[in-house]
Amino acid sequence: MGKTTGFMDYSRELAPRRPVLERVNDWFEIYQDFPEEQLRKQGARCMDCGVPFCQTGCPVNNLIPDWNDHVFRGNWKDAVRQLHATNNFPEFTGRICPAPCEASCVLGITEPAVTIKQNEKNIVEHGFLEGWIHPVLPKTRSGKKVAIVGSGPAGLAAAQQLCRAGHAVTVYEKADRIGGLLRYGIPEFKLEKHIIDRRLEQMSAEGVKFVTNAEVGRNVAVEELRRDFDAIVLAGGSEQPRDLKIPGRELKGIHFAMEFLPQQNKRCHGDVLDPASDILATGKHVVIIGGGDTGADCLGTCHRQKPLSVHQFEIMPKPPDERAAHTPWPLWPMQLRIEGAHEEGGIRDWSIATTSFTGDENGNVNQLHAVRVAPPPKFEPIAGTEFTIDADLVLIAMGFLGPVRKGMIEQLGVQLDNRGNVATDENYMSSVQGVFAAGDMRRGQSLVVWAISEGRKAAAGVDQYLKQLDAQPRIESAQTLPNAIRIA
Amino acid sequence: MVAEVGVGTVAAGVAKAHADVVLISGDSGGTGASPLSSIKHAGIPWELGLAETQQVLLLNDLRSRIRVQTDGKLQTGRDVVIAALLGAEEFGFATTPLIAMGCIMMRKCHLNTCSVGIATQDPVLRQKFQGQPEHVINFFFFIAEQVRQYMAELGFSTVDEMVGRVDMLDVEQAVNHWKARGLDFSTILYNPPVPSRVARRCVQSQDHGLDHALDHQLVEHSLDALLSLNSVEINLPVRNVHRSVGTILSGEVARRYGSKGLPDDTVRIHLNGSAGQSLGAFLAKGITLTLEGDANDYVGKGLSGGHVIVYPPRESKFAPEENIIIGNVALYGATSGEAFFNGVAGERFAVRNSGSTAVVEGVGDHGCEYMTNGLVLVLGATGRNFAAGMSGGIAYVFDERGDFAEKRCNVESVDLEPLIEPEDVQLVRGLIARHYELTGSPRAQWILENWQDAVSRFTKVFPHEYKRVLGVSRNQPANVPVEPVAASAVEQVQHG
Repeated sequence: MGKTTGFMDYSRELAPRRPVLERVNDWFEIYQDFPEEQLRKQGARCMDCGVPFCQTGCPVNNLIPDWNDHVFRGNWKDAVRQLHATNNFPEFTGRICPAPCEASCVLGITEPAVTIKQNEKNIVEHGFLEGWIHPVLPKTRSGKKVAIVGSGPAGLAAAQQLCRAGHAVTVYEKADRIGGLLRYGIPEFKLEKHIIDRRLEQMSAEGVKFVTNAEVGRNVAVEELRRDFDAIVLAGGSEQPRDLKIPGRELKGIHFAMEFLPQQNKRCHGDVLDPASDILATGKHVVIIGGGDTGADCLGTCHRQKPLSVHQFEIMPKPPDERAAHTPWPLWPMQLRIEGAHEEGGIRDWSIATTSFTGDENGNVNQLHAVRVAPPPKFEPIAGTEFTIDADLVLIAMGFLGPVRKGMIEQLGVQLDNRGNVATDENYMSSVQGVFAAGDMRRGQSLVVWAISEGRKAAAGVDQYLKQLDAQPRIESAQTLPNAIRIA
Repeated sequence: MVAEVGVGTVAAGVAKAHADVVLISGDSGGTGASPLSSIKHAGIPWELGLAETQQVLLLNDLRSRIRVQTDGKLQTGRDVVIAALLGAEEFGFATTPLIAMGCIMMRKCHLNTCSVGIATQDPVLRQKFQGQPEHVINFFFFIAEQVRQYMAELGFSTVDEMVGRVDMLDVEQAVNHWKARGLDFSTILYNPPVPSRVARRCVQSQDHGLDHALDHQLVEHSLDALLSLNSVEINLPVRNVHRSVGTILSGEVARRYGSKGLPDDTVRIHLNGSAGQSLGAFLAKGITLTLEGDANDYVGKGLSGGHVIVYPPRESKFAPEENIIIGNVALYGATSGEAFFNGVAGERFAVRNSGSTAVVEGVGDHGCEYMTNGLVLVLGATGRNFAAGMSGGIAYVFDERGDFAEKRCNVESVDLEPLIEPEDVQLVRGLIARHYELTGSPRAQWILENWQDAVSRFTKVFPHEYKRVLGVSRNQPANVPVEPVAASAVEQVQHG
């Protein structure tokens, strides 16, 4: 522990966000730099708890008190080393993680928590700035080959871990660029994409092969993968969106968030899109359905496209300003969150269910009809609260229902759990021998940090499996999993 | 007592020595300030120590008059039931109720920075304490509820019936680990075949024999002093069956005059013979206890302002400075008062002394350990580990053999300095003169007669922490008043 009384001497301070009027005119990240001197004081606030709840609150079990101490002392090199001991990509989590560590920080019981996430980001940025983050090459090569399907945080974490363990790793990505949701999903103003590129550079140098425009089960045959690789890791995400099946859904101008967000990512990359398929908020009345993080990403993206108005509707009641009583420390708190995007404008409203859309003569949506509803579980409409608002663009950000079954999943024949995700054993191996799963594809829609955690654990499972392959003849029988449903 | 092999024998001794309660403390648990090495594996699990204790007490028919407690990571009602079946009737909980009131095991109890306001004196942090008595009450209701459930299952309607019913315990078959294969629990689950008249739990209280205490005579003879503050002088023989001589009398003084006691030397007691344990324990101010003979362990334990003087029989021929005159652990936790011993003391002399002044002619191992205040003058050799963990007060040692600094003293928390400051010299010489006057010590006489030679052989033991409190730099020669600093000042500094 750096300073015994640090938490009493200093209060929580975060890097300021850039002024709203400035940042809605560009796509750069919204946080300003934080001076090192202040940062070290924030590190001093860590109490080095005997039982560090932050460490168990963190899905990758980051050694938080240790590197907080390094931040306080300015031992940046040690901090970088310890940070990477548990987390392959702290530059991603340091930016976009909702920081469950801070929710479980012991200091958070009585005072604002330690700025763990900010410390993490600054440590890794320090590492890149000083050139301390370079390729880590394996000492020996195993001769085993692993295919990883999907290049999101789970796939990349698994790839890096397995490559460093000495296996030959090839990552398949159906999109034209590597990164999954990090690349096409998370807006530029939360994660500038060159941050991904410099990490991919390191991974390429370590020996990871990346194949883009390669959708396994469509233009890359499943059999080919089974034949050419000793193990496969499925990290294709949870891409099936929850739809809103109400009258008027077929109208033009109603899109899933994940049709809208990647387009802007491409534009920021300098790609030129087909004007016919363009989805833009510019000059429109926009309604975002869904009050979560994806909705907030849509909101921020819309603001930068200069809409006439933006509304964000959520079916759940407005959460309390403080931690709700039913989510006591160290649980993840149910409370109202104000993201950067929310500061930038738009109207948030809660307890609203959309009932129908209506459109003009050309089949374009122009109005959204909704009603206020009672709290869950029934969400009963409250009579007399029906209303209609203008809406030329409706974005549906209502969550995801698990991996897309058609294609790879069906062809591999892996069993799914009762939520429709790929079922695995404790080593992350699916019902098909040698086929593993990680990330949202295994656990359903979740956080980047969980994806990294899953990628690492699946990699450990694969590594163990590959070692056993050498030790004993291959057994072909598929393991049966409890509570698993086979997709026909 | 720490649960360990042989604890049963010790428990039997304790029971014979008329203890009311014996606590068998298991190997786990501790405060948040404890180092890990003290939290786990400090002894053996309470289950083992408890089983042995119960068996030994039963076999010697001692169980009926002593209560057995156990602690050391009891956490559930199931633990309570097992402890009862193994022979305990009282159960200690500490960490779990602390957690119930909001402790989050920061393990910073010693730093005064407990962020949930439990182990801290900081008023700002204490404000953050959110615990409520109901949280702890609730926890113990859950414990009680679980105990009740197990009792119902076992067919017991009172805890008393359960105590020592080791026949109700079975080794769980599910313990199927390969390491458990060779384990034999039969000695733990052994139920000694004793006649039915032998009680398996405490059914009668100990006869402490207080009716025969020498103090009843002392109180009777001191009535004039107690009631009218007149000086009294008492001459009595003493034997080693007389324990805690002077303690009941001190209680009477305290009852009437509180901690201020009586004027010095109001009650003068002259004893002759071999005193039992705890001679002059908690002796109040105004009582001077002079013993011609020798004394057992714990002389002047918790000395509270009284004076204790011990010298050998006048007709003895041995050299007092070469012979043990009092037992171990003299002046443990003494808070004030004076003691003069014309002879050598046993081990752990003046441990945790927090204010008394003592002169002795030699001590065994661990002298002045954890001493926090007061003054100790040793006119002869010390054992090893002198002044370990000493944080306050001053000791002066006549370094007879010249090996005190290298071999005898634990210098981790103290500085050793020569006796040169005039105030120190004057104080030491004055004390020796007093010692000679009160005891007729030949060693004191010799030192006084050869003062010029002797003075250079004294070493002053000055704790670092004490210097800090007194504001003395560790590099400069000390020049400080040696009157004991008020204990509260030391505490304030320690609590920051």
